[in-house]
Amino acid sequence: MDFATIWTLSTTTWLIPAALIGLVWGILGGALPGISASITMALLLPFTYTMEPVVAIVMLASVYIGAEYGGSIPAILIRTPGTNSAAATVIDGYEMRRQGKAGEALGISLWSGFLGSLFGLLMLVTMTEPLSWLALSFRPTSYFGLGILGLSVIASMSSGSLVKGLAAAIVGMMIATVGADPIAGINRFTFGVPELLGGIEPVLVMIGVFALSELMIQSGAPELNGLKEKIRIRLPSFDMMKRLKRSQAIGGIMGLFEGLTPGGGGSIAAFLSYNEARRWSKTPEKFGKGSPEGVAAPETANNTVASTTLIPLLSFGIPSSNSTAVLLGGFLIHGLLPGPRLFEQNAEVVTGLYFGSFIAIVGQLLFGIILLPACVWLVNRPRPYLAAYILALIMSGIYTLDHSLFHIGFVLGMGLLGYLMRRAGYPFLPLILGVVLGHMVESSYRRSLVLSAGDHRIFLQDPIAVGLLLASLAFILYSLWSEFADSAKSKRKAAPKETSI
Amino acid sequence: MRMIHVIGVGLALSFASSTASLADPVDYPHDVVTLVTHSSPGGGSDVFLRELSKYLGKQIKATFVVENVQGGSGAKAMARMAQSPADGSIFYATTPTYIYTSLLSAPEYKYDSLQPVVNFFTDSEVIYTAANSPYNSLQDVIAKAKEGMGKWGAANPASLERQAAEQLKAAAGVNAAVVTHEGGGDMMINVLNGTLDIGVGEVQELRSQLEGKQIRLLATFNPERMKDYPDVPTVKESGYDVVLQKFRGLAAPKGLPDDIGAIWDKATQAVLADPEYQKVYQAESLVPNFIDHAKYPAFVNDFVDKTAAFLKQSGVIQ
Repeated sequence: MDFATIWTLSTTTWLIPAALIGLVWGILGGALPGISASITMALLLPFTYTMEPVVAIVMLASVYIGAEYGGSIPAILIRTPGTNSAAATVIDGYEMRRQGKAGEALGISLWSGFLGSLFGLLMLVTMTEPLSWLALSFRPTSYFGLGILGLSVIASMSSGSLVKGLAAAIVGMMIATVGADPIAGINRFTFGVPELLGGIEPVLVMIGVFALSELMIQSGAPELNGLKEKIRIRLPSFDMMKRLKRSQAIGGIMGLFEGLTPGGGGSIAAFLSYNEARRWSKTPEKFGKGSPEGVAAPETANNTVASTTLIPLLSFGIPSSNSTAVLLGGFLIHGLLPGPRLFEQNAEVVTGLYFGSFIAIVGQLLFGIILLPACVWLVNRPRPYLAAYILALIMSGIYTLDHSLFHIGFVLGMGLLGYLMRRAGYPFLPLILGVVLGHMVESSYRRSLVLSAGDHRIFLQDPIAVGLLLASLAFILYSLWSEFADSAKSKRKAAPKETSI
Repeated sequence: MRMIHVIGVGLALSFASSTASLADPVDYPHDVVTLVTHSSPGGGSDVFLRELSKYLGKQIKATFVVENVQGGSGAKAMARMAQSPADGSIFYATTPTYIYTSLLSAPEYKYDSLQPVVNFFTDSEVIYTAANSPYNSLQDVIAKAKEGMGKWGAANPASLERQAAEQLKAAAGVNAAVVTHEGGGDMMINVLNGTLDIGVGEVQELRSQLEGKQIRLLATFNPERMKDYPDVPTVKESGYDVVLQKFRGLAAPKGLPDDIGAIWDKATQAVLADPEYQKVYQAESLVPNFIDHAKYPAFVNDFVDKTAAFLKQSGVIQ
């Protein structure tokens, strides 16, 4: 870190205001359902054309940081993940809100996001060189292992009925097969609809099954009474911070790895860290019922990704997610080429980017505290109004995505699916995991087999794949065993009705 | 993206008006000309149009606005074009993508609802390998594929790059797995870590890895050697008869009057000769390749025929 450069940049350019404006724009964009981090960045991109390169880059990177955080606000308050990577936050975040602990959940998400972003930035600044080597070690076979590890979570997330969980996962993976197939380019299940050619955005499925089904259920439920909520955001107490430490550490590590590897852009890390946080928790039974750790882990993970995803971009010029692709566009428009030479030729841009990210992260904590009470107040309005506004917000957000009525119809259909699943006691998470991971599992499996001309031994030749597949196997066996033990136990005494997520 | 659209309009307006007053442009029947692309802001064709619109104002007396009509890999943009008047007020940035989308997805409006007007450039397609790989020439790569099996990468399943790799494989008569990816970044990792012997891509997308000396160029599919990489041989002179023309031009709705086409023929030649613009496009290794409005439809139709034949042969379409 070169403090003279930082001083010059922050006194002679609009670096600091740009970081803060980018951040707030990102939080707002991330919080709007359907507007992903990359779209939020792309919307701002044309405004940066005339800025100084370093200011433009800092602004775009700050948007990303803000958007990763912003996605958690609607996830907690209205059961609508603002971005793909906030889907795991819905589970315990919204449960906490239902228990009148929205302020606390938002505080935990804010604090965890802050820590995750700081950790990610620290890794970016100090470890880019060694970690870039790790990014290169992932082959198609390794991605297959990673995808399977993600899917193995289904077994433990099915809360009660493994069969129902698997059924939901298969439906999710079927949704992931829609669109041009990833290896041969043949269209599958597109029915001549141009909107389906590029596949289905996971966030559309998430908004449908999480948010719309909740609106349907709520419209038939009595008003939550006796729930007086303080319109105050509560950062975690010292005791709570200690309790969250483990889940945050898990989130940070997952986020670090996902940021390095192309693909998921935070959603896989969020789910994996949620599941690992539960596995290593002292109170795993509270997960899904409003556990603070269930909010902390995924929020740490997706905020860490926002910084670590810059590692492959800066070391190889490779964008590993849609958002970094937009950021790469920002670099190119200003005549900058991300890659090792950037550190020599435009060192001030790199320093500025690090410093600007730091400003944005601190700003995240400050603006979070300022913005959130208004959000909490908003969601405590009388339900009939609130539900109507949420529906309008969701629909307009989805429409903005592609200006297509088809997407609105699709989300409504997913809402109905979600409603029926809840009525019939099918868990959602396996469905979402199937949608998020199905594509990665399929494409990396087939790509590996193209490489080996159909020989499955290629998976055994990659140590990363072997490790991940063995871990998956262990998780599945453990879940099966505990399911079996549970059902044996519950046979002895009549089990209470299971709740599903 | 309505918002992007609005922002794009504002930006292109400001560019166009600032440059329009400098030269002596020819009269044009429309005050505002819309340039449509299916790229997102910052994407390939978007950057092409935005740069171009800065210099077009010197030749044609009109204001040029760029509109991003994203979705369906060009299907939406083609529909927008087909439903617009063929009076020279709207053009579409063509690349092979819209042909691929037309053939693969059979959308309601296809390439044949559009009329190719002028071609500007050919993008340089190259074969590259990791800097630390054992291959020093295309012949080395072919030799390895002859012995056992080659591993060659292409960025997307339905792309000119994959077609190039398949054609090279056939021309050399070797056994190679042509591994398709979802985007160039994905493939770059597999080239850098040695999973793939070579990758096929556009040279302007490889600039940062080339500058960082992480990859080396082995050959180009261009008909002639590239100006900025004179040491890189063409695939054809390496002994394999495969030549690619990744075109970049403009198309209008079908039925564009001849006199408008003639205005564009002139303007295009003048723009390509503009020294300021030359600096910009040479930096991106774009090869100027002017084709006029009389010949361009035949050029594109020929491309369609070849592509359709390839897609049928590889079983992608029937």
